[in-house]
Amino acid sequence: MIDALFTYLNQESVIDMIVTIGSMILFFIGLFGLLSQRHIIKLFISIAIMETAVFLFFVGSIFVRGFTAPILGDGYDKFVSMNDPIPHAMILTAIVIGMAVFALGASFAIEYYKLTSVTDVDQMSEISEINR
Amino acid sequence: MSSLYFIALPLLFGFAVPIITRFGKNSVAYTSTLMQLGLFGLALLLLNTRAVEVIAINPPLGISFVLNEVSMLFVLLFTFLMLCFSIYYLQMRKSHAYASENKFFILINMLLASAIGLVLSSDIFNIYVFFEIAGVSAYILSAYHKNAKALEAGIKYLITGMVASVFLVFGIALIYIHLGSLNLALLSQSFGTLSPDMKLLISLLLLVGFGFKVEIFPLNFWVTDVYEGSSTPINALFSAIVVKAYLFVFFHLYYLFVPDAIYSHLLVTIGAVSMIVAEIVALKQTNLKRVFAYSSLGQVGLIFALFALENTQAIIAGLYIVIAHSLAKFIIFLSITSIERRYESVDISVLRRVQSPFMVAIVLVAMLSLLGLPPLLGFTGKFLGLSSMAMSGEFLLLVVVVVASLIESVYYFKIAGGLLHKSDEREPLGLSLVEKVIFALLALLLIVLGLVPWIVSGFIHQGATIMLDSVLYNASLLGGAL
Repeated sequence: MIDALFTYLNQESVIDMIVTIGSMILFFIGLFGLLSQRHIIKLFISIAIMETAVFLFFVGSIFVRGFTAPILGDGYDKFVSMNDPIPHAMILTAIVIGMAVFALGASFAIEYYKLTSVTDVDQMSEISEINR
Repeated sequence: MSSLYFIALPLLFGFAVPIITRFGKNSVAYTSTLMQLGLFGLALLLLNTRAVEVIAINPPLGISFVLNEVSMLFVLLFTFLMLCFSIYYLQMRKSHAYASENKFFILINMLLASAIGLVLSSDIFNIYVFFEIAGVSAYILSAYHKNAKALEAGIKYLITGMVASVFLVFGIALIYIHLGSLNLALLSQSFGTLSPDMKLLISLLLLVGFGFKVEIFPLNFWVTDVYEGSSTPINALFSAIVVKAYLFVFFHLYYLFVPDAIYSHLLVTIGAVSMIVAEIVALKQTNLKRVFAYSSLGQVGLIFALFALENTQAIIAGLYIVIAHSLAKFIIFLSITSIERRYESVDISVLRRVQSPFMVAIVLVAMLSLLGLPPLLGFTGKFLGLSSMAMSGEFLLLVVVVVASLIESVYYFKIAGGLLHKSDEREPLGLSLVEKVIFALLALLLIVLGLVPWIVSGFIHQGATIMLDSVLYNASLLGGAL
């Protein structure tokens, strides 16, 4: 029974489906958080979830099971049966950028809280449509 | 001489600051200005060059930067405006220097490098990276003063910017999964092979991703708040440099990927709606920064609609308006800075206290150019734009633009009235010579280019042709290196 389940799950198409549907669910969890939460830090977390979902989706869909890392040596002398390194490099870059921006955002939120004791984006009132 | 210096030098400057700062208190400021002077000189030197600059590996695998007429135009504009900004700031810092100035210089140079990088990149992932660098430096610049207002603006800007970058990276991921390349020329050739649904999905993701940054109607709710919260000279950079870089790169991608009639109508509608909405909302504003932020949104909507029309004439008009709007908004936001510094207010009523015939003349020139009155550069752009709309049969758009310009004139006259109104409270503004020279130079450019537009028309014409012609771009990118 368990073995049959594992064989089923091991199929390429099933894994692709799990990656796609799973990351899309994650994406919409993040989007829902972005639209429903009003706490600044929670907003950042929601965006981070969306971003992670995109990264997961990208790496998951491009990765081919059974292929190795694209490094020559240890008996590998041709670039065959190897995974594409570009998405991984891209995602690493994007993760680093994302982390830096979230750190910046958190520091803004902390400074803002120190000045106004507000953590809710709806209560931000320093700037308003009609100038007082 | 290579176009790489435009990106490498301002970024390297950041790393050199700890060394430069040892040579004295003012050395960083002067080095930065000198470097920007050098970059502007380099832009003039490379004016007639068309080159593909390759780093390490040839395209399609390596990173490359394409310098052609249209990207040259933007590079020239950005370096010139940044030079004006630096000289203005050199004068301003004598009395109102920013706190921890070294950081400030690093940030404006990062902004310059990333704006130029966006324009020159021929690789969609590099476009994402520069998109983020421009974003990060802009967030920090808008929150620079660390008071509650600035931080609120920074937080709003950062949240919208992060959402935009998530959508953009999603679009890029789908492109790479389906087409297996990041090089713009290869993508442009193979984008048509995608299924229509996937094309639509990718286009929408990129539209949302860039839509936040190019400030088009449903996605521009954050813009005026950011303009109000951040300090006034920074607004000049946002309005004249950052938005223009995003606008160019958006339409650059659009013409390479999906020049399609359905999308064109959609984009023209979006541009027209964002223009009219922004101008209507601007009417009731009483804060000068907000008024001109909305006016910026309106002008960006107009440029957006013109670029989306997909004919050379409209793109020429769009490029003229890009130049005219950048110069005019630079004058206006820097004048507001001078006014704010003297009278410590940006409310519209402060204009009744300004006593400076020079300033009044300069601001009037800028506003009349924004309105599109002859003999200023704005007239050339608006005239060509309206005639191209008439020629391509977009009469509804033409009516919208004319009505929006009329509404625009109402609040410009309100401001002009404030400046010219007879009042006893007037106190001398006391502009310094440097400020006067910069304002006069920018205004003179508006007038001279408006009187004799054929100085630049050949250049702009070639630029518009290249922007529209993806085959030419692809050939220059792939053929130059293989």
